[in-house]
Amino acid sequence: MDFPVQVTQASSAHSQAHQTSLSRRDLIRAALLSAAASVLGPSFSLAQAIESGLTPAARGEDGAAYLTDPHWKAAFLNDHQNETLIALSDVIIPATDTSGAKAALVNRYLDLLISVQPSEFQQEFLAALKFIDSESQAQLGKEFLELSLEDQTWLLKPWAYTQQSSHWTERNDPHAQPADLAQQHFHRLKTLIAAAYYGSEIGQKELGWDGEFTHGPYEGCEHSDATHS
Amino acid sequence: MAQDPLQQTYDAIVVGSGATGGWAAKRLSEAGLKVALLEAGRAVTGREFTEHMPSFQLKYRNHSPEVMRTRPIQRQCYACMEYNYEWFVNDLENPYSTPPDRPFTWQRLRILGGRSLVWGRQSYRLSDVDFKAASRDGYDVDWPFSYSDLAPFYDIVENYVGISGAPEKNEMLPDGQFLPPMKMSCGEIRLRDSVKKTFGRTVTIGRTAIVTQPHNGRAPCHYCGPCERGCMTYSYFSSPFTTVKDALKTGNCTLITDAIVSHVDMDVSANKARGVTFVNRTTKETKHVRGKTVVLCAQALESTRILLNSSTQEYPKGLGNSSGLLGHYLMDHVVGGSASATFEDMQASPSANPPHRPNGIYLVRFRNTPAEGKHPHFIRGYGFQGGSMPDFNMDAAGIGADYKKAVKRGVYGVSLGAFGESLANLDNFCEIDPNLKDAWGIPALRISMAHGKNEAALMRDAAITGAEMLEAAGAKDIRLTTGTEMPGMAIHEVGTARMGNDPKKSVLDPFCRSHDVSNLLVTDGSGFVSSACQNPTLTMMAITVRACDHLVERFKRNEV
Ligand SMILES: Cc1cc2nc3c(=O)[nH]c(=O)nc-3n(C[C@H](O)[C@H](O)[C@H](O)COP(=O)(O)OP(=O)(O)OC[C@H]3O[C@@H](n4cnc5c(N)ncnc54)[C@H](O)[C@@H]3O)c2cc1C
Ligand code: SF4
Repeated sequence: MDFPVQVTQASSAHSQAHQTSLSRRDLIRAALLSAAASVLGPSFSLAQAIESGLTPAARGEDGAAYLTDPHWKAAFLNDHQNETLIALSDVIIPATDTSGAKAALVNRYLDLLISVQPSEFQQEFLAALKFIDSESQAQLGKEFLELSLEDQTWLLKPWAYTQQSSHWTERNDPHAQPADLAQQHFHRLKTLIAAAYYGSEIGQKELGWDGEFTHGPYEGCEHSDATHS
Repeated sequence: MAQDPLQQTYDAIVVGSGATGGWAAKRLSEAGLKVALLEAGRAVTGREFTEHMPSFQLKYRNHSPEVMRTRPIQRQCYACMEYNYEWFVNDLENPYSTPPDRPFTWQRLRILGGRSLVWGRQSYRLSDVDFKAASRDGYDVDWPFSYSDLAPFYDIVENYVGISGAPEKNEMLPDGQFLPPMKMSCGEIRLRDSVKKTFGRTVTIGRTAIVTQPHNGRAPCHYCGPCERGCMTYSYFSSPFTTVKDALKTGNCTLITDAIVSHVDMDVSANKARGVTFVNRTTKETKHVRGKTVVLCAQALESTRILLNSSTQEYPKGLGNSSGLLGHYLMDHVVGGSASATFEDMQASPSANPPHRPNGIYLVRFRNTPAEGKHPHFIRGYGFQGGSMPDFNMDAAGIGADYKKAVKRGVYGVSLGAFGESLANLDNFCEIDPNLKDAWGIPALRISMAHGKNEAALMRDAAITGAEMLEAAGAKDIRLTTGTEMPGMAIHEVGTARMGNDPKKSVLDPFCRSHDVSNLLVTDGSGFVSSACQNPTLTMMAITVRACDHLVERFKRNEV
């Protein structure tokens, strides 16, 4: 029994030559393992190891399957919260020439993640989500889900940049630092959404990962001058 | 199956199969001694390695509730993950206590290979500035041997383990037997050159126990990155696939896994150890093994726990504890001082693809050196580990397509984190907690340790000098941390059975032998007299080989 090596799975998108090199490596690996097993003798049987406890990852379980299950149901969020999270995540990380947060099932992963966090964390998350709706109501008279994409962007964008103190009032009170609750709520959501997106297979591909684990040794700096630019 | 392994009398019983136990088993069995190697955990196979499994295949992407529930302490260690947490002890089954105001995080593995399966692999020699530190600054005592006594054993260990690194001719960090070094990034070269030019200090590529060319049947590193999840090519050093494998190959070594040693058994009339008692991990049965010598390699705190649990009428405060010092002088490197910044003028263009270099850079200790002289605020010193690599910028401002672009544009970060010497202090100690037992009924430890003023000053100074060096190298947006992390965090615990020549002031002799019981050895980090600031495992392994070779000589002379 062996875990599904991810490269094999991802290789369908790659060339034939690529696949051949993968299987050659798998063969080398199998040879190494059987050599180790024979030298180390019967006390190294995998059966014993499994009996004694392997992590799901070491057993080769693909935990990502949970997210794509056709019968998926939210573990923590209600329908409205889930829909709001989908919309919000897709405004923050939309599909461009590559897929966005919705396709990466950011909502499903976050639902699972939050379902196992301490209640304080859960409450903070729900408060942030609720804040988006109440602010949407206050400024635009509608819930976030009912806004057009333009209005959703209009609502969120000011919270997505560092704020500085006002030129007008700074002179009067240099210590005036408005505790920006809105930014805190938004930042909490954005950080989680970004982690869920870039941690997904789609997100890894967005960053340019080609599904490989080996590209030869690290060659380091190859500049001849000292500026390194 | 030949003879029942528990009916024989072995020449040596080695307890623990990690970095040091593997060496003891190899060295003694290759010299022809009959060895029993007892390991508390289960066997491990290369098939359970997960270094090529992307994190999106983990159900919780490394936030598993099972890890939070069963490893609340172990997960403080970056290497304890949803991938491999079963290698780490279950905290619910393996309790220890601390005074409320003196927290200690104890991170340990119970599996064949121990912590060598997940270690950070950084490997540095100590120098005579460390071994003779007390003579220079008057604090505490020197080690009972010099660098020249240990150097041949460093050579043996390095030649076998395979350490990649670059020689620097720096008296604080002796050069060793190196395989070709890994390469530095642009940012690291800029930092190295600037630090040398402005401050006269040395930055070198990390010296790491990873082979960069074929070595003793192990393939060179293929730069996949996450070594703490195992290595299918055995390119980094871990004992099951090197030292333990060699020991078993001799035919002289019997490996007994799932054997949790509770105490050493004594022959009271002869004042000699005659074996050990262990509890079977799965059946909880109690068993005994007989041996002419006992070599403890269970890691500093565990070996000392075994000795404290082996009290007899003659040794009421713990076996081999006539000095009263067993358990005392616990040390761990102090961490917490750091500086990080960005090279804003360097193009980042980060890559999600390997190669991922599993190694950083090392900035050699420059405080309280013979060249620099005494620092006004503290004794001893620290070294920095760090690195400079382009990375994706998830913290970029904005939303939408602009944000996606900014993330990929990335930042060229640079960071330095200090590892400082933890002073040997009588008040930092472990003892048996009379009210606490593990899941096998073995009395558990109470650990009481705190970093002091000197450690705090080291970390404060490290933040300052780190910032100065980053500034001089042209880095911007400098951020510091100046505090001291709780003891245990560096996972470099040593001490608790210090070596020395005087039986009244030490527990072990210079060859790791108990002053009180001549056929009892402890060769892991327990015997360290001071912690120095270099990662300790290379030195532990060299000390183990030295002690084992000495033991073999005694066997040859029929002294055992
Ligand atoms: C994440 C991490 C990173 C690290 N990075 C570095 C680094 O870069 N450089 C460095 O020098 N060091 C590093 N270390 C520390 C290094 O791993 C240890 O110093 C080293 O492994 C200690 O060797 P040892 O043989 O004493 O103990 P271990 O390697 O821990 O092995 C002890 C063995 O004894 C067994 N055992 C314990 N109790 C009993 C018992 N009662 N009966 C039977 N068997 C028992 C255990 O199951 C284990 O297998 C790191 C550690 C960790 C966890
Ligand atoms: S980075 Fe190198 S040493 Fe680490 S697991 Fe990958 S191949 Fe092995």
